[in-house]
Amino acid sequence: MWAFCSLLALAAIPATLAVKAHDFKTCSQAGFCRRGRALSARATENPAWRSPYSIDASSLALSPDQASFTAAVKSSIYPEVNFGLDIRIHDDGVVRVRMDEVGGLRKRYDEAASWALLEEPKVSHSIQWTVAKDKVHAKYGAKNNFEVVVAYEPLKVTLSRNGQEQVVLNGRGLLHMEHYRTKESVAQSKQGIAVPEEGFDTDDSQVVLEQAHPRAAWFEGETEDGWWEETFNSFTDPKPRGPESLSLDIDFPNHGHVYGIPQHATRLSLPTTTGEGAYYSDPYRLYNADVFEYLADSTMSLYGSIPFMQAHSADSTVGIFNVIGSETWIDVGRPTLKATTTHWISETGILDVFILPGPTPADVFAQYTRLTGTPALPAHWALGYHQCRWNYISSEDVRSVQQRFDEEDIPVDVFWLDIEYAEDHKYFMWDHKLFPDPVDMIKDVEAIERKMVVIVDPHLKRTNDYPVYKEATELDVLVKVKDGKTDYEGWCWSGSSAWVDFFNPKSWDWWKGLFKINGPSYGWHWTESTENTHIWNDMNEPSIFNGPEISMPRENIHYGGWEHRDLHNINGMLFHNLTSQAVMERSNPPKRPFVLTRSFYAGSQRFGAMWTGDNLGTWEHMGVGVKMVLANNIAGFSFAGSDVGGFFGNPEPEMLVRWYGVGAFAPFFRAHAHIDTKRREPYLLDEPYKSIVRDILRLRYSMLPVWYTAFREASVTGLPVLRPHYVAMPHDEGGFAIDDQYFIGSSGLLVKPVTHKSVTEETVYLPEDQVYYDYFSHQAYRGAAKGKNVTVPAELHQIPLLIRGGSIVPTRERPRRSSPLMKRDPFTLRVALDKDGNARGELYLDDGETYSHREGNFIWREFAAQKLTKKSKGVRISSRNLAAQKPAEAVDHVALAKYDDGNDFAKSIAGVRVEKLVVLGLPAKPTSVSAGDKELQWTYTPGISASEKKEGTASVLVIKDPKLSISGDWDIVVQV
Amino acid sequence: MHPWLILLLPLHALASTKKPHGVSPELAARYIPVQKGSSEVWECLDGSKTIEWSAVNDDFCDCPDGSDEPGTGACPNTRFYCVNEGHIGAFIPSSRVRDGLCEPECCDGSDEAPGVCKNVCKEVGEAYRERVRAEQKLRKTGAKIRSTYIAFAQKEKKRIEEELAQTEREIATREKEVSRLRDLVERTESLSAAALEVRKQSPLYQILMTHVTALKSLKREYQKHLEREKALGEILDNLRTGYNPNYQDMAVLEAVRGWEHLASLPHINDVAKEDDSTADTGSDEEAGEEEEDQPDDGLWSELQLEHQLDELLNTDYEALLLEHDKLVGAPASETSILYNLSAYLPDAVVPQYEALRDQLVSWLEALGLVKSAPTVSADASRLQKALSDAEHSLDLTRKEKEQKEKELQRLFDPEWYGAEGEWKKLDGTCLSKEVGDYIYEVCLFDEARQKPIKGGSTFSLGHFESRNNAPGVVKGSPEYYRKQRYTRGAKCWNGPQRSVTLDMTCGTENAVLSVAEPEKCEYEFKVTSPALCLPLSPAEEKGYAASKKEEL
Repeated sequence: MWAFCSLLALAAIPATLAVKAHDFKTCSQAGFCRRGRALSARATENPAWRSPYSIDASSLALSPDQASFTAAVKSSIYPEVNFGLDIRIHDDGVVRVRMDEVGGLRKRYDEAASWALLEEPKVSHSIQWTVAKDKVHAKYGAKNNFEVVVAYEPLKVTLSRNGQEQVVLNGRGLLHMEHYRTKESVAQSKQGIAVPEEGFDTDDSQVVLEQAHPRAAWFEGETEDGWWEETFNSFTDPKPRGPESLSLDIDFPNHGHVYGIPQHATRLSLPTTTGEGAYYSDPYRLYNADVFEYLADSTMSLYGSIPFMQAHSADSTVGIFNVIGSETWIDVGRPTLKATTTHWISETGILDVFILPGPTPADVFAQYTRLTGTPALPAHWALGYHQCRWNYISSEDVRSVQQRFDEEDIPVDVFWLDIEYAEDHKYFMWDHKLFPDPVDMIKDVEAIERKMVVIVDPHLKRTNDYPVYKEATELDVLVKVKDGKTDYEGWCWSGSSAWVDFFNPKSWDWWKGLFKINGPSYGWHWTESTENTHIWNDMNEPSIFNGPEISMPRENIHYGGWEHRDLHNINGMLFHNLTSQAVMERSNPPKRPFVLTRSFYAGSQRFGAMWTGDNLGTWEHMGVGVKMVLANNIAGFSFAGSDVGGFFGNPEPEMLVRWYGVGAFAPFFRAHAHIDTKRREPYLLDEPYKSIVRDILRLRYSMLPVWYTAFREASVTGLPVLRPHYVAMPHDEGGFAIDDQYFIGSSGLLVKPVTHKSVTEETVYLPEDQVYYDYFSHQAYRGAAKGKNVTVPAELHQIPLLIRGGSIVPTRERPRRSSPLMKRDPFTLRVALDKDGNARGELYLDDGETYSHREGNFIWREFAAQKLTKKSKGVRISSRNLAAQKPAEAVDHVALAKYDDGNDFAKSIAGVRVEKLVVLGLPAKPTSVSAGDKELQWTYTPGISASEKKEGTASVLVIKDPKLSISGDWDIVVQV
Repeated sequence: MHPWLILLLPLHALASTKKPHGVSPELAARYIPVQKGSSEVWECLDGSKTIEWSAVNDDFCDCPDGSDEPGTGACPNTRFYCVNEGHIGAFIPSSRVRDGLCEPECCDGSDEAPGVCKNVCKEVGEAYRERVRAEQKLRKTGAKIRSTYIAFAQKEKKRIEEELAQTEREIATREKEVSRLRDLVERTESLSAAALEVRKQSPLYQILMTHVTALKSLKREYQKHLEREKALGEILDNLRTGYNPNYQDMAVLEAVRGWEHLASLPHINDVAKEDDSTADTGSDEEAGEEEEDQPDDGLWSELQLEHQLDELLNTDYEALLLEHDKLVGAPASETSILYNLSAYLPDAVVPQYEALRDQLVSWLEALGLVKSAPTVSADASRLQKALSDAEHSLDLTRKEKEQKEKELQRLFDPEWYGAEGEWKKLDGTCLSKEVGDYIYEVCLFDEARQKPIKGGSTFSLGHFESRNNAPGVVKGSPEYYRKQRYTRGAKCWNGPQRSVTLDMTCGTENAVLSVAEPEKCEYEFKVTSPALCLPLSPAEEKGYAASKKEEL
C-alpha cells in the first residue's frame, strides 16, 4: 500500500509541471489524419500516382458575364459519385475554388465561409475564361500577367504570375473528398465486386479491420481505418456519418517560406513537418483546444485557428485561405530551399479555398481582409495597460489596487475581474459577499477615466436560479447531444453546465439583451453594470473539463442539424462576435466594444482582441509569445498579446521586467496571473525594478499615438500593426526567418524585445542601407543593402528600440494615470532624417471611443521633413492634412467623399499643440529655425549626420514649443 | 499656406506677480528672478542651467530637474503645491496637473485651468476637521479601554510575582525532599548494586532486555508509519476535495480515484453532482473502519498496542528480576538487604541506621510502595522510583517557575504584550467573523482557524509568530503593533502553508471586520482593538478641546 501511495505521489508531481500531451491527439490518433498521411505516403511511393479526380468537360458551364464557371467532377474510383466544382475570380484577383459532393447521402458542411466572410465577395465582370480541349484558363491583372489554369484530367488548379507557378492545387494528386456512404452499402458493394480472399479467416474476431472498396484500395488504402467509430482516451466518437474527410495538397513551387495558420507555439516562418529532416514529426493541427501548460515549441493545436497561410519569396507573396470549420491538419514540406509543399487534411466540410495572388504582402493583406474584414479599430483606451489577475477578490481589493497604482504614479487603464466575481461562477451574477457594490466600484474606477473588464464565459451553470440558463432553456437555444433533442451537459468552472448554441439565430437578440443595463430585453438583463464595463470571453473553444480533448463531443448537434465537428473551430468566434455586438449596442450612440477572446477563427479580428492563453512564466514562453503575436498579426488579427509575467508561475523580477518590455510592444498589453501565484502588480516590485517597469509603462503611454495610428492603418488597409521583416522589407531575404524583432505599423520604429536572461546587449538586424537611430540615446547605426547585424545596448532598463531614418514619430510625453487623461496633452515629434535628409510620419486621432470618426470626426495628419533645395543642408518640416487629401482612405468601413476641417473632434483638440520637435541627423548647426516669420527657440547638440557613413551619437536639434497646433497645417524652416 | 499659429493662454500670467503657481511656501523664496542685462533670468533649483525667467511655468520643461515648471505638469516626476486656503496645503504629482480631473487633494482647484474646478476648500476643510474630530473621539474612547488593559497588566504582574514567590518556596521544599531521598538511595544502592549486577548476568534478564529494545524499536517504527499514513491520508483527502478539475490532470484524477477506492470513499465529483449538502462522507468512513480485519487470537489489537504497550515497556525490570529470584528461591532474596544491613554496619552507627530505616520503611509503606517485609533490593528500586518522582515534581515546579518568569517577562515585551502590557488582557481572546461558508477565528497570540459552517474539518490558518516584521519597521512603534503574523497553518493543496496577517486599527471593540484571501492560502484579517488606541498627545488634546467647543 505504501508503495502504491508513493508511486502515486511520484507520478503526480512531474505531471503538474508539463502539458498533458496525452490528453490531445497526435495525427496518428485521428483516423482521418492517419488516412490523409497514408494517402500522401502512397502517392510519394508510387511514381505513377495520378489523381482519380477529373472534370467532365461536357458539363462545363461558364457564367455569361462573370468570371466564374461550374463543372462536374468525377472520381475514377467511385464513378457513381458526383462532385460539383465552382471556380470564380473576384474583383481583386482572388480565385475561389469550391467543390462539393452532389446528390450524396447528405449535405457536407458548407457554412464556414458564411461566418468567416465579411460579405459575399464581388465577382469580377471583366475576366473571361477561355475553354481549351484539356483545360479552362483565364488571364487577368493590370498587366494581364496572372493566369489561372484549371486542367481537366486529372483535376488541377494552377495560379501563375509572369509565367511562374505561384500556387498549385492537387498538383500531387492528394485531393480526396470522402463521399458519404453507409456501412451497409459498403458491405454490399464489397460483396458485389469482392475478389475471394484466400487465407482470410473470417471467423477470427481478432481481425477487426475490414477491407475497403477494392477499386479504391490503391487510393484509399486497404482498410476502413477509423471510418465508423473512434476511441481516444476512453472517449468514443460514434461517427454516425462515417468517413467524410477532405484532403488537398496546395503547393508553392517558387516560395521558400510559409507563414500563418495560427495558433501554434512555434516560429513565424513555419518549420517543416514532413520530408527529409523535418523539424517536427506531426502536422500543424487546427482544433481549438484548452491546452493546459502548453509546450513552447510544438505543432499542437491551441485555442484558436485561422486557416490562412502566406507563402513568400523575394519577388512574390501569395496566400491561401482554406475556409473550413472542422479539425484540420497541415503538413509542410520543403523539397528544395525555394519551394514549399503543404497538405491540408480536414475532418469534414466542402472544399472552399481562396487563392490570394498577392503579389506583395500588402496586396495579400488587402485581399485577405477584404474577405474576412480588417481588424476593428479599438477604443483608444484599450491600447493602454490592462491589469488582470485571477482574481481581484473584492470591491475593496479593486479599489486598493487602483490606489496603489496611483500612489506609485504608474499608469493603467483597465482593471479586470476573472471568474471569482461571479457567485458560483454564474457569469453576470456578482458575488455580493465580496462585491457588495459592483456599480459603485466600477464608478470609482471610472472616476480616473479607467474601465473595467469582467469575464463572461460560455458555460452556463445548470440551475434554474440562474436566469441566463433558465432563459436559454426556455428559448431552447442550448447545444444538443447527438439525438438532437436533449441539452448537452458538461463539466466546467460552474460544475454541471450547458452551452448556448450561438449558431442558432434565436440566441442572438436574447444574448445581446442580457448586456443591456436598463433594458429592454428578452427578460433578465445586467442592471449591475455600466457602459464602461467591457467583457472578456474565455473558455470558448469550448473548454469542457470532462469532454474529449477537454472540449465538446464531436457528435453534438448544433442549429441546422450540423455536428459539432463541422464547426468546432468557428464556435468560439460566434460567442465573441455576439458578445462584441452586445457591448456595442449597450450604448446609444454605440461605443466601440472591447471584448477579449481566447478562441478565434478567421474573421475574429472584427470583434476585438485575443491573447495567447495560459502561458507559463518561463523565458521560452516569453520568447515564443512574441512569435505567436506576430503570427496572429500576419493572419489578420493584429489586436493580440500574451500574458505579461506568464499565467503560471512566479517570475523573478528580472523576468517580469523583461516581460513588461515585451508587453509594451505588443498591440494588446495585459498582465495576468494564476490564482496560485504570488501577487506581482508593478507597485509590489522592489527598486530598481519598480522604476524600470514604471518607465516602460510610461513609454507605452507616450507611444499611444503611434499605436493608434497603426491601428487606423490596419483597420483600413488590413496591413498588420506588427510587421515582421518579410512584411516590412519583402525583398530582403535575410529577414524572412526573423521573428524576434519587428516594426510597429508604418511608424519606422523597429523593436527587439529582450526575452533572455542576463542580457546586456542584443544583436539587431538592419535590412537596408539606411541609418537607424537608437530611440533613447540617439546613437546612429548603419545598415547595409545586404543586411547587417548591429549590437545595441540592452541592460535591464533598456529596450532595443530603433527609429528607421526617414521617420517622424509623434508621441505624448507627459505621464498620466490613464490614457483618456492625456487627451489635452501636447505632442512631441521625433524627426529622424534618412541618409538623404528627408523624413515622413503620420498621426491619426479621433474621440477614441465612438463611431463618429466614420462621420468625419477625426484628424489624420502627415508630417514631412524635406530638404529646402536639392543642395541645401536645411530642412522644411511641415504638417499637412492627409484626411483632406485622401478622405476615402481615412477611416474603416466607409469611403468619405470629403473631409471637413471644422469637424467636432478637430474643434475639440484645437488647443492641443506640438510642444517639442527633436530632429536627428542634421548635418550642421542651424543658423535659424522659424515658423512663418517667427524665430523659434532651439538648442543644437552636434553629432553624426544622417548622410555620413559613420556610427556614433547623432546630432540633435531640439525645437522648443513652436506653439503650433497638432491639427493645423504649418511649416518650420530650419536653415543650416 | 501660411503658418497656423494658435493663441495659447500664457500660463505664467496665472502666476501673478507673487511666487509662481504650484510652488510650496518653503521653496517660494527660491523662485525669484535675477536681472541679467536687459532680461530676467533664473537658475534651475539644481543649479544645472540658467533660463529666462519667462520660461518658468511656460508649459515647457527646460530644467533637467524639472524645477522650472512647478505649476504646469510639463516636467515629469515633479510635485505641484496647492495652497488650499481654508484647508491645509497639499502636494500632488505633476502627472495630475492639468489632466482634466479635479484632484480631491487640491480643493482650491488650482491643479486645473481656471474655471475647470470649483474651490471647495471650505466644505472639504470642514469635513476634514470633522473627520479628525471623530477619529480623535474614537481614540479617546479607545484609549480609556486601553488604560484598563494596562491596569490589568499591572495586576497580572503582581499576581504572577506573588505566584512566583510561592513557587520558589515550593521549590525549596521539594529540593530538600529530593536531597534527602537521594541521600537514602545512594546509601541503599551502594549496597544492593553489587548484588544486582550479579543477577543481571542471568541469560533470562539479558534476553528480556534485548526484547525490550526490540519492542521499543518496533514501537518507534510503528509510530513513524502511523504518522506517515495519517499524513498521506490528509494529503490525499486534500487532493480529493481540493483538486482543480481545470488542470485536466488524469494523473491527479487517477490518484483521487485510487484513494477513494482504498479508503472506501465515494467519488467526489459524484458527491458534488448529487448534492453538496447530502455528501456525507462521514458514514462511509465509519463503514470503512468496520471492515478492518479483526486481530488474530491472542494477538493485540490496534487499541491495545496503542494503550498497553507503553505500560508494558515501563515495567521495572530490576524489580522484576528480584521478584523472579524470590520465586525461584534464590538465597539472597530470602532476607532483605535493608533489614539485614545492620549486620554489616559498624556498631556506632547502628542505632541511627535503625531509626532511619524505620522511618524510611514507614514512609515507603505510606506511599504504598512497599508492603510490609519488602526485600531490600526491591526496596532500593522502589526508593529509586520515589526519588525520581520527587525529582520530577521538582522539575515540574521549576518549569512552572520558568513559565511564570517568561510570562512576567513577556508582559512588557513589545514582541508580546506590548511595552505597557496593553495586550495582555487580550491573550487568548478569540475573535471571529463569518464569511461565506466559513467562520474565521483568531485567538490572539495563539492560533487562527477556518471553521466550515456546514460541517467538515477545521483548518489551522497559523500560529502566532510575530508583529509587523516588515523591514524598516521599528520594534515597539505604532506601526509595529498594527500587524500580527500567524504562520505555519495547515498546508494547502499544491500550495504553501496557510498564514494570516492581522491588519489592526484602533477601535472601541475587539473585532474582526473583514477577511480576505488576496493570495491563495494567505489571509488578511482586518481587526480593530482598543489596545491600539493611543491617548491623544497634549497638542492633539488641545486641538480636540478647541474643536469640541467649535462643535458646541
